Amino acid sequence: MLRIISCQRATLLLEQRAEAALPPTERNSLWLHLRYCPYCRRYARQTVLIAELARAATAAPEQAGLSAEARQRLQERLRQAGLGRS
Amino acid sequence: MSLPSHLPAAAPAPPEPQLWLARYGDELYRYARARVPDAASAEELVQDTLLSALDGLASFRAEASERTWLFVILKRKLIDYYRRRARHPEIGLEALDATGPTEATFFELHNGHWRGEQHPISWDPADGPMELQELREVLRRCQQKLPPQQEAVFALRFVEELSAEEICRELGLSAANYWVLVHRAKLQLRRCLEKNGLGRAATA
Repeated sequence: MLRIISCQRATLLLEQRAEAALPPTERNSLWLHLRYCPYCRRYARQTVLIAELARAATAAPEQAGLSAEARQRLQERLRQAGLGRS
Repeated sequence: MSLPSHLPAAAPAPPEPQLWLARYGDELYRYARARVPDAASAEELVQDTLLSALDGLASFRAEASERTWLFVILKRKLIDYYRRRARHPEIGLEALDATGPTEATFFELHNGHWRGEQHPISWDPADGPMELQELREVLRRCQQKLPPQQEAVFALRFVEELSAEEICRELGLSAANYWVLVHRAKLQLRRCLEKNGLGRAATA
């Protein structure tokens, strides 16, 4: 059965749909809502884009490695922790 | 003394902790650095990872490579990092309301439709040209502005790609609270991206 839902509800269902298939009632309500609501249709695309961007953002190519000082600190810390004993 | 004739074909290579920093240090650090806002936290994550690995040397079975094993530990440390930031695990929905904009910021109270000034506007590239790299940078800054719980939920879900179930377990959230946090985080990030250039050229 189709039920009129609010934009607040529709945008929440969009997030839930990304995690797992919605139950038929919710799926139908969302479908109907998106059919008539251009704002939520837009939101539906944008929320997916945000997720894709977030995942891609961590793959930024040119990033510096450990600084010489950081490496020195880590070396020292590892030595204290017992590496030096072996 | 004679050697047994049935030695395993390839004995697993023993781990070489004295070489970890030289071999994997930069890689571990870059991985962490792309996920946390500051260099000091990233360095600390690498340190915690290597120290945990040292502690756990006995449990290393060489089924996976050393490198894989270290990354498994680092990912665990990252989850702990987000959990510490989110902190209050038993927080109720009433308390959540105090941590930033709520649904009421975006939707009309009486009917749940978009408030006029919050209508999602188009992000067509023609309206607001932005380089992908720049876009990622803006998103990272926006993520850091989220209330800590939303930031943690968003990062675990969309960056670390944990399931809802795992995140609820890690952060001690009910499913209902989890969805409120995901929903609010997305609404806020969307608005933040827009404020910082997406789709604005047409109206500017």
